[in-house]
Amino acid sequence: MSDAIIRTENLEKSYQTGAVTTQALRGVTLEIKKGSFTCIVGPSGHGKSTLMHLLGGLDHPTKGSVFLEGVEIGSLDNSRLAQLRGEKIGFVFQFFNLLQGLTAKENVEVAAMLAGVPEKEQAERAMKLLAQVGLAEKADSKPSQLSGGQQQRVAIARALANDPAILLMDEPTGNLDSAAEAEVLEILRNLHAQGKTVVVVTHNNEIACKAEYVICVRDGQIQ
Amino acid sequence: MTLSKLVIRNITRRRGRFVFTLMGITIGIASFVTFLSMGGSLKSEINRESAALGANLIVTPIGSCAYEQVSILTGEILPSNITMDEVAKIRAIRGLSAVPVLTEKSAVANKPVSVNGVDVAAMKAFKGWEIAKGAYFSGPDESAAVVGSAAAELFKLDTGSTITVRGESIPVKGVLKETGGRDDVTVFLPLPLAQRLYKASNKVSYLAVKVDNLALTDRYVEQIREATNLGVVSDKQMLKSVLSIVGTVNITLQMIASVSVLAAAFGIVNTMLTATYERKREIGILQALGATQRTIFTIFLLESGFYGIIGGATGVVLGLLVSITAAPYISQNAFTSFVKGSGVGAMIDLKTVVGSILFSAVVAILAGVYPAWRAARLSPVEAISYE
Ligand SMILES: Nc1ncnc2c1ncn2[C@@H]1O[C@H](COP(=O)(O)OP(=O)(O)OP(=O)(O)O)[C@@H](O)[C@H]1O
Ligand SMILES: [Mg+2]
Repeated sequence: MSDAIIRTENLEKSYQTGAVTTQALRGVTLEIKKGSFTCIVGPSGHGKSTLMHLLGGLDHPTKGSVFLEGVEIGSLDNSRLAQLRGEKIGFVFQFFNLLQGLTAKENVEVAAMLAGVPEKEQAERAMKLLAQVGLAEKADSKPSQLSGGQQQRVAIARALANDPAILLMDEPTGNLDSAAEAEVLEILRNLHAQGKTVVVVTHNNEIACKAEYVICVRDGQIQ
Repeated sequence: MTLSKLVIRNITRRRGRFVFTLMGITIGIASFVTFLSMGGSLKSEINRESAALGANLIVTPIGSCAYEQVSILTGEILPSNITMDEVAKIRAIRGLSAVPVLTEKSAVANKPVSVNGVDVAAMKAFKGWEIAKGAYFSGPDESAAVVGSAAAELFKLDTGSTITVRGESIPVKGVLKETGGRDDVTVFLPLPLAQRLYKASNKVSYLAVKVDNLALTDRYVEQIREATNLGVVSDKQMLKSVLSIVGTVNITLQMIASVSVLAAAFGIVNTMLTATYERKREIGILQALGATQRTIFTIFLLESGFYGIIGGATGVVLGLLVSITAAPYISQNAFTSFVKGSGVGAMIDLKTVVGSILFSAVVAILAGVYPAWRAARLSPVEAISYE
């Protein structure tokens, strides 16, 4: 238990759309070990993204608890949650991750800014992170000038801007061809090797095979 | 990266929309500034004219209201209803000097000019005029004109030239030294000549009165009223009532201008609301990266605030340009003739500039509150799932 960075207890989440209630998660209890590489897999619409959002404090659970480094975060108010995300979580999503008006470097700088990094140190950190994902020479390109794979690598660099305890990714390669996917995967492996906790939601077996732990979500429950 | 820089990047991303929204607020503030600066110079001009008139009391036909009083200061035509009999009665009162004036208009080279018929000797003593060129009237029955310095310059008049008044050619005998008041743009004729030309025999428009002892002003007013059936106002009362009309006109104009600022404010609301829809996804990303609701709110409020400050600044510049360039073209009437007289310097006052930019910023920020609140209220999950 002590080496779990995230732990959930009987997590439930339902969405209310008009008169219809969708039960997206039906009692999920899991733990994610510090420094592990975990994959969340499962059929479409069965609650993977919902689970990831709750793990990262992007939403409040309907029932149950989420513990991040031992602290219950499910009941924190919005602004405390936002602060927590800024300090400890790095998110990467499937589509349109980047702020379109800004260059790659500026995208990373914005994340650093929100994490409280002083302006003077932001550029250096951004360049270091872009170098880490192999995009130092694209620092001044706008997202529209980057390929899909390059955009996702910038998104990963940006997710690392706050030096997060845990990296949460929702189908980061869902939109990429196999070459770009391989590059992203390589970066994830490196990050894991450096000791980062990496959680990836994926449909992709290749990624799932490389993970240390695989969590299968089906019908809002873990199998 | 700072919040302000992020905001500037966001604003300049959509150049077309940025420019058009900005134009709305620019035009609103520009009209506001135009009216404000014209109104401001109007007031200082009235003060100046009142001082240049040099009278403690003004005698006008009974029932004259503030409009007639404005006309005295602007040199507009007044009904000439005071008889020379009444003039004589007032002049008979001890302890004051009174000069009768017949105010009329003529045109030189198709431009309107004020013509005053004056008691030549009394008026010179009353005003302390000095002659710049040529000579002053030698007697009341002379058929000649003396012109103010600005009028001489404007109409290219000099001693030896003639002006046509009511079809009669009158030689210009002299040019007055600059007085800084209305007299500079006026053509003076001896009273009998003016009365004949304008068919106002034995009549004058008003009397300017100087009293020997200011402390006894009220008594002189009583005496004039007893001696004649005319209205009397002190220069201070006149100034007050004239300024109050001007104030009313100003407020009306500023209200009209405020409406255009209000319209511009709704333009900002519209632009910012559109931005919250367009950037829904980006708002979600910022939230995922740790932006609190307060940060999102600040970003959007700053954005509309920038519109206000930039639009305010360009509006002030445009407004001042308009008031400077448009002033000479405004047709002459009781109010606008003041504006023509005042210089550029009088219009650019720091209070107007800073006040207008501040006003613009406040309006824009208020306009941004609702869109900013909408943006901040978005749930991150909803924003991220938005495509
Ligand atoms: N904001 C929402 N409002 C209403 N229902 C929602 C919302 N988000 C998700 N759902 C519903 O919750 C269920 C789980 O959705 P979720 O996005 O977690 O699935 P997923 O496993 O990530 O699917 P995919 O692999 O297609 O991304 C689905 O039935 C979905 O329709
Ligand atoms: Mg999903």
